[in-house]
Amino acid sequence: MIHFDNVTKVYANQNRPALDHVSVDVDKGEFVFLVGPSGSGKSTFLRLVLKEERPNSGSIHVAGKDLAKLSNFKVPHLRRRIGCVFQDFRLLPNKNVYENVAFALEVIGKPRRFIRKVVPEVIELVGLEGKAHRMPEELSGGEQQRVAMARAFVNRPMILLADEPTGNIDPATSIGIMKVLDRINRTGTTVLMATHDAAIVDSMRKRVVELEDGKIVRDQSRGVYGQAY
Amino acid sequence: MRANFIFSEVWIGLRRNLTMTIAVIVTVAVGMALLGVGLMINSQVSKLTGFWSDKVELSVYLCVKGSPFDACKNKGAVTQEEKGSLEQTIRGLPEVESVKFETQAEAYKNWQNTENNTLLLSVTKVEDMPESFRVKLKDPEKAAVVASNLKGQPGVSNVVNERDLLQSVFGFMDTLRNMALGIAILMVFAATLLIGNTVRLSAYNRRRETGIMRLVGASNIYIQLPFVMEGLIAGLIGGVLSGVLLILVKIFIFEEIQTYMVAPLGWDTVAGVITGTMAIGVLICVFASFVTLRRYLRV
Repeated sequence: MIHFDNVTKVYANQNRPALDHVSVDVDKGEFVFLVGPSGSGKSTFLRLVLKEERPNSGSIHVAGKDLAKLSNFKVPHLRRRIGCVFQDFRLLPNKNVYENVAFALEVIGKPRRFIRKVVPEVIELVGLEGKAHRMPEELSGGEQQRVAMARAFVNRPMILLADEPTGNIDPATSIGIMKVLDRINRTGTTVLMATHDAAIVDSMRKRVVELEDGKIVRDQSRGVYGQAY
Repeated sequence: MRANFIFSEVWIGLRRNLTMTIAVIVTVAVGMALLGVGLMINSQVSKLTGFWSDKVELSVYLCVKGSPFDACKNKGAVTQEEKGSLEQTIRGLPEVESVKFETQAEAYKNWQNTENNTLLLSVTKVEDMPESFRVKLKDPEKAAVVASNLKGQPGVSNVVNERDLLQSVFGFMDTLRNMALGIAILMVFAATLLIGNTVRLSAYNRRRETGIMRLVGASNIYIQLPFVMEGLIAGLIGGVLSGVLLILVKIFIFEEIQTYMVAPLGWDTVAGVITGTMAIGVLICVFASFVTLRRYLRV
């Protein structure tokens, strides 16, 4: 599903590579934690998957497509197959829960009938039934993140990228978020989650890929966050 | 593509940047109106030039009794012999194509047709009008040579190159046109920058929305279209206003001076000018939106 082959990324005006000869394979339906300290290259990894950045060398395949050969024109189509969740939720403050989720379908031109059918289902999947008409500011952080997950998942992507989704949420609420991610993963969606949260990684017992200074220092199935932390 | 989605985005964008949008509309309107005025003057001048070009001639005025010209002083009216030899001389010149003699009576009639000062009309008599030879030249550029040649001849009071008179009128209109076009270019430049700024503000205001759109895989056209439409609508409103301004210019300026213009500027020309300037205004707006978008809206 995601295939990195000897990928190196150096940002302009920086000597140290953000990713240094990274090779990783993520299969369909896997749940992978991407761990490591700040600046270790986790976010760069996710940005490369979305083709927001281009690698300086090496090749990346996502959902069977070679990103180097993917024209800019087709990048939006790639992104329709990838859902994204962030630490800061990125909801539209002037739209309610339903509209925020529906927005993701509207802007890719889905028919209204389809939107009316799918959006309530997804809102229920993330556990927000009955809150469809709340505004984001009326929701707790955990609930806002659920909205963001609903939006990321509403188009049934093949891959869900989560960049520290529990970073702004207290540990108790985080468990709920992880349950939703797990539920999404069980539908067959590949989940790639960058995180600092040792407790979550340890409790989930999923594959762990650890980055340090842009290099992979550990790739462990059913791993934990690591003793050093 | 969902039209109502695009239009609601456009409406929100225009409303959020209302002052900027108004600035764009006014600049486009004034700029395009000036461009239109320039074009209208241009077509007026070329119409006049066409009308006059086969009518320009040298007028060789002859002395009348009591003529104030130096050449005639103390000599009285031109004599019959002088007239005869003068005509011979003129006909003998290689540059001359044809010569026509205008009698005092004809001159008086022509003058009566163009003059509308009643006091002057009532006190002027036929005898006051000078006789003249109307000389048509093979090459109008040679007028100065022929004029200086004929000036010293006995019985000649004055030689007027009518082209010089026209030239000063055309020169004035040329200056007007150049000024209008010059200011129009400046306004177009200002409009381009203003639109660029508006689009930049708009892109900044909507960076959340566009960021999410990008993330969920909205196509570039879908993301960019609302911004370009904003430019297009502002350009269109500006264009319509400039059309109104041009119609006012036609009614209040061109119609007014029509009395002096033998070749009037028709409404068909005005319609053409308005269509042209509106198209240019809209194109400039769309182009400016597009160029700035590429800088401020990463897709």
